[in-house]
Amino acid sequence: MIDNPAQPAPRTCGCQLRKVLLEAAIVAVLGVAFAFLANQLSPRGLSPAMNYFPGDTTASQPPVAPVVPGQSSNGASAQPPPPSPAELLKERIKTNGLQFLDRAGVEKLFHDPRRQEDLIMFIDARDPDHFEQGHIPGAFEFYPYYPQKYLESVLTPCQIAEQIVVYCTGGDCEDSLSAAIYLRTAAGVSSGKLFIFGGGFTEWEAAKLPVETGQRNSGDLRNPAP
Amino acid sequence: MKRSFLPAALTAVDAANLLVRWLLGGLFIYMGWQKVVHPVLFLNLLREYHMVQNTTALNCIAIAVPWFEVFCGLLLIAGIAVRGTALLLAGMLAVFTAVVFHRALGVQAAQAIPFCSVKFDCGCGGGPEFICAKLPQNIGMFFLAVWLVASRFHRDPSRRATGPEDSTPAGSRHAGIEP
Repeated sequence: MIDNPAQPAPRTCGCQLRKVLLEAAIVAVLGVAFAFLANQLSPRGLSPAMNYFPGDTTASQPPVAPVVPGQSSNGASAQPPPPSPAELLKERIKTNGLQFLDRAGVEKLFHDPRRQEDLIMFIDARDPDHFEQGHIPGAFEFYPYYPQKYLESVLTPCQIAEQIVVYCTGGDCEDSLSAAIYLRTAAGVSSGKLFIFGGGFTEWEAAKLPVETGQRNSGDLRNPAP
Repeated sequence: MKRSFLPAALTAVDAANLLVRWLLGGLFIYMGWQKVVHPVLFLNLLREYHMVQNTTALNCIAIAVPWFEVFCGLLLIAGIAVRGTALLLAGMLAVFTAVVFHRALGVQAAQAIPFCSVKFDCGCGGGPEFICAKLPQNIGMFFLAVWLVASRFHRDPSRRATGPEDSTPAGSRHAGIEP
C-alpha cells in the first residue's frame, strides 16, 4: 500500500473513531432490542411494569453502618445497634398491615384439626426448586415473581381458608411478604387472615418438623409426626 | 493475482486478538447466562445496590443487562462489530466496577471489616466473591476490551487471504457493521 501524502493521518483517525462509535451505537440498539425480545420469549422473563417488591418501604435506604460501642462520629453517646434484617422484616410486616407469626404459633396451626378441613392453609413463597426439595406438608406453591402461574390453584382455597400462613426461607427473605401483599391486592384476600411465618422454612426444618418433598400432597414425608 | 503474506509478528497479534475475543466473549456469555436463568435473583441483587428507585427502570435494567451481555459475547466470538462491541463492554465494565467498588465500601463500613474481607454477590454472574478478587477480574476484562477497541486486526487468521480477490492485508480490514 502506498501512502498518500494528500490524506492527512488525523482525518483517518477521526474517521476510525466515528466508525467505532457508530458501530457501538448500532450494537447497543440491536442488543437492547434483542434483550427485550428474548425476555419476552423466555418462560422466566420479567415483566417491566410489575412491582416485584410490593412491601418494600426501605428500598431507597442503604444499609446502616453499625456503631462500635464507645465510638461515635459526632461525639455523642453510643447509639443502640441497628435492627437485624429479620427485625426489619417483622417491622415491615406490621407496617403493611399483616400479622407476624413465630414458630410456636405456626406449629399450633399446623396441628389444628381445621387444617384437615382446609380452613387453615399454608403457602410456600419460595422458588419451585426449593419447594420440590421440601416444604411444609400440604403447603401450596406460590412464587410471587410469577403470580399468574400459581394464582388459579390458590385462589379458591384462599377464599375458603380462615387463616393463611405464608412463609419463605426465613431470615431477611421478603418473598412471603410479597406473596401475601399480592394475594391481598390482586386476589382480594383479607389482611385479617394472612399471617407471615417470620422464621420461615429454615426454622421449620431446624426444629425437625415434618417436611414433604416433591409436589403438594405427594405423601413423601421427612420427620413425620409421631 | 498476487497474494499477501503477513509477517510473523502480525500473525501473533491476530492470534492474540482471536484469543482475547473468545475469552472475553465466552466470559460475557457465561456471566450473562447465569443471570438469564436466574432473573429474579439478579433483580434482587440489583435492588440491593439502592441506586435505582423506580420499579420499571430497575426491571428494565434486570431485563436488558443479562441478554445484552450474551448478545455482545456472541458478537465477539463471531467476530462481528468487534470494536464497537468491545467499546460498549469496556464502558459497561467501567460502570459496573465503579458501582461494585462503591457497594464494597458500603459493606465494609457496615460490617466494620477490612476491605479485602468484604465478600458479597455483586450480581455479576459468578456468585459471592471477595472484592479483592473481583475488582482485578473486572479491571483485567476492561483492559481486554480496550485492547480489542484499540486493535485494528480482528479477522481470524484462518479467514485471511482465502481467495484470489482477497489480497488486502488483514491489517487494513475490519470485520464490522459497515455503516
